Amino acid sequence: MSINSATSDDDTPDGDDESGGGPGEVEARVGLRYTLKQVRQDTTARIGTYIVGFITFVAAFAAFDYYVLDYAIAEALLYNPEADPQNVRRLLPPVGLENQFGQGVIEHPLGTDHRGRDILSRTIYGTRIAMTVGFLATAIGLGGGTVIGAVSGYYGGWIDDVLQRVTETIYAIPFLVLVIAFMTAFGRDLTFAMIGVGITAVPVFNRLIRSRVVSIREEDYVEAARAAGVKDRNIIFRHIIPNSFAPVLVQATLQVGVSILIVAGLSFLGFGAQPPTPSWGQMLSASRGYMLPAPTFSIFPGIAILITVIGFNILGDGLQDALDPRINN
Amino acid sequence: MSEPLLSVRDLKTQFFTEDGTVRAVDGISFDVHEGEIVGLVGESGAGKSVATSSILRLVDSPGEIVGGEIEFKGETIFGLEEGDDGELRPRDQMLTETEMRKRIRGREIAIIFQDPMESLNPVFTIGGQLREFIEINRDLDAGEAKQEAIDMLREVGIPAPESRYDEYPHQFSGGMRQRVLIAMALACQPDLIIADEPTTALDVTVEGEILEMVKDLQEKYDTSFIWVTHDMSVVAEICDRVNVMYLGEIIEQAEVDDLFYDTKHPYTSALLDSMPRPDETLDELRPIQGVMPEAIDPPAGCRFHSRCPEAREVCREVHPEPRDLSEAGEAPHTAACVKHDAFDVGYDESPPIETRATGGFSAGFTETGGEAE
Amino acid sequence: MSLLRYTLRRIAQAIPVLIGIVTITFFLANQIPGDPVDIMLGPTPAQEQVEAIRAQYGLDRPIHERYLTYLAGVATGDLGLSIYYDRPVLEMILLRLPVTLLLMLSAFAFAIVTAIPLGVISAKRRNEPADHVSRIVSLIGVSTPSFWIGLVLIIVFAFHLGWFPARGLVLPWENPADVRGAATQFEVIRQSVHHLFLPMIGLGTLQMAQITRIERSSMVDSLQGEYVKLARAYGVPESTIVRKHAFQVAQLPVITIIGLGLSTALGGAVLTETVFEIQGMGRLIITAINNQDYQLIMGTTLVFGFVYVIGVIITDITYSYLDPRVTYGDD
Repeated sequence: MSINSATSDDDTPDGDDESGGGPGEVEARVGLRYTLKQVRQDTTARIGTYIVGFITFVAAFAAFDYYVLDYAIAEALLYNPEADPQNVRRLLPPVGLENQFGQGVIEHPLGTDHRGRDILSRTIYGTRIAMTVGFLATAIGLGGGTVIGAVSGYYGGWIDDVLQRVTETIYAIPFLVLVIAFMTAFGRDLTFAMIGVGITAVPVFNRLIRSRVVSIREEDYVEAARAAGVKDRNIIFRHIIPNSFAPVLVQATLQVGVSILIVAGLSFLGFGAQPPTPSWGQMLSASRGYMLPAPTFSIFPGIAILITVIGFNILGDGLQDALDPRINN
Repeated sequence: MSEPLLSVRDLKTQFFTEDGTVRAVDGISFDVHEGEIVGLVGESGAGKSVATSSILRLVDSPGEIVGGEIEFKGETIFGLEEGDDGELRPRDQMLTETEMRKRIRGREIAIIFQDPMESLNPVFTIGGQLREFIEINRDLDAGEAKQEAIDMLREVGIPAPESRYDEYPHQFSGGMRQRVLIAMALACQPDLIIADEPTTALDVTVEGEILEMVKDLQEKYDTSFIWVTHDMSVVAEICDRVNVMYLGEIIEQAEVDDLFYDTKHPYTSALLDSMPRPDETLDELRPIQGVMPEAIDPPAGCRFHSRCPEAREVCREVHPEPRDLSEAGEAPHTAACVKHDAFDVGYDESPPIETRATGGFSAGFTETGGEAE
Repeated sequence: MSLLRYTLRRIAQAIPVLIGIVTITFFLANQIPGDPVDIMLGPTPAQEQVEAIRAQYGLDRPIHERYLTYLAGVATGDLGLSIYYDRPVLEMILLRLPVTLLLMLSAFAFAIVTAIPLGVISAKRRNEPADHVSRIVSLIGVSTPSFWIGLVLIIVFAFHLGWFPARGLVLPWENPADVRGAATQFEVIRQSVHHLFLPMIGLGTLQMAQITRIERSSMVDSLQGEYVKLARAYGVPESTIVRKHAFQVAQLPVITIIGLGLSTALGGAVLTETVFEIQGMGRLIITAINNQDYQLIMGTTLVFGFVYVIGVIITDITYSYLDPRVTYGDD
């Protein structure tokens, strides 16, 4: 069954360059220093780095304010409805606009939500959740996929068969549905959203690592290591996996964006961050009831998702161009 | 001799890259007469393929033909003139892109590429591809074109052509695919076929068979060929006249026997020496020293001086233009090397340069060179 | 091997995957905390009533027995009873599946029809303005959550401009008598298209963007192919080269991406149906979960899996049909 590799062996569409270049290139194209140098030279990768850097900064700011200062900065700058329940202004438009609930005010540059909370500050706090979830889900997928792919590709035989059948089956359930079912079974909060999304990413990394391992396994230096009595586990982790650095980095970068999108979708459906946690998907879910009178409520969290995911996609594309031997641009 | 079929004069093709201008073809001139097989020889990177794509005006961006003239059967494939404003512009007689496509490419000049594995479209049948090109270039209807395609496949030695007509390229071996490409070229009945290293990707026995076949078919159809190769033994096998290219220039030009037995350029000697011969052991093989410099920044003076075993100080300074060195009554034999008296730039008095090539192997080379003089 | 035998072999190969899906679904559903019986009977049911219900739904038997029964049921098309709807699960699914399939098909039709020309133009005019526009559009497309596109479409085209309805769906084959404001079948179809338009774009944009990207890079590769150079050297007009010689080879990776995109799109359908309040499979699974309707959760999840597997088989077959290099023998 070719759920995974739905077709003939050549023409890998998503550019996982399993066939890309011989051992020499593979060896030359590893390492952090090489990557950084290439990224500096590639415009696309640089723009991606700036966007991701900015988002990371916002997320770090939110985390700092949340954990260390207990919302001190947010409260100093922005209006907190709970501090003054008598004077809550709900569903205000952004500053400069007007709707049936009143005129936009400077204290709420992007307006307020249905409980009178400031949309800008909630969007900023949503960044923290999105980034955490994106990175952790990717890490879970990367870790699981690497171990399964490496073991599967290195040992081959029945181990390979069993592991691949299992990941194929996981892959065969549309992943949003799978995560929903998973969360229904184990828990509807953010932790399980993260784990669930991570599990759906396992087959992606598994496929990538496995194909590289299969091709590298036969290389001379791996043969030599094996002949010299190096343990299998050491061969896998010291020789094979470092050699897959570039494509894995590209895939992981893109996967962060994908994970953020899926988790936003889950929160939108009510799986994941629960109110009053400020997550973008859950803000959008809440905004659905007010699309007619206060359409701007639905706009900004979406833009935040868009910018974040674009950042990771641009960075991923840029890394791909910068690290791929077969540059075609 | 009669008017040449194809005449190339001072052709220059350059690639404008981020790193600078690559002078891939830098002022080459040669002719192809009717019924001739003309060799274009050199290491990879010498500019052979760029030269051939220039003849069809199919240089890929960022490459561009920037100067020179190409005439084919009295028509101007490429030619510039100075406009009123002093800028160079294409001459009025120069064929338009549409004319090139409709009248020249395929119909008058056909090409056979190096890699038979990649040259055929994997998703169309052999017959379909052959028939399409025949229809475009022969004014035949579909039925006639199909018959012609099958006849041609038989002609190039493909067994059971009727049934293989409907097969796909992946069902053919490399040698068989190259035969298909040759059939394709011949079936369009061009006057000139450019064969761009057509046998390089094949193994030696298949190469031999294909060279034999091409020689027979060339006689039968009296088609002219430009045969691009880096392999001197192929040249010896098939060519009537030879042009040796180095770094965008033609450095020696002669009839094939003259080239082999009266070699006038040290680069040609080196190429010949690097050819394995049955009477030599592997130890005696003499590969050419060093690598060809970049065409982006060619060395001053003679471009070969950095690798030339006979290089002298003067070679660094004087850039030799090819000159006819043949005696009266002999076939023309041009070479671009200042060691010949005809150049008279003081080679004999100039001190030798220390290069890698003048090291260990210099003795052998000088001897050969000495004999040639 | 013929195409028919290849098809049969593909289906046979899918059977273990399908059994795997059933297994995963079954054990996930069994992990669900809480007891459906509690939900049915309220907080303080009589003991014998509980036991009767448990026996009726087979909940009193050990898990492996229930698994085998369920597996056998699936094989014969019996997906059990929905507690919430009090109807056979299969019946509910057959009612809702056409809605989701219609949505999916129109979304993919929209995606393919827009993406292929966009990708081809982009590749042909590489690094020119048209290419930049198309690349930016597709980059935004792959980075935007589909449900947010849905929300924005509703705000702009339904609420502000009033061009399209904001919610619901009319199926084109519904009886005119059942559809408000429709006297003839033609009007039913017109209403259906009208309703389908926004959800189609909401769901199809991501696919469109993804197909555009792959179409572009695949065409770029293909246009640099030796066979394209050969066609040029034989005087084939450039338009024919783009439309025929380069195009056909370039579609192979595109088909693969469409197959893989099915998974995203089926998930996207759940979101899109939520945004546009369409009663399809997506809403069905959410309703099932919210009501702890075990049998319905299992049934819908595995039908989602089955639909995806069938979709992949169809793309595999299409691929093998277009690529003569795919042998129908062993992999």
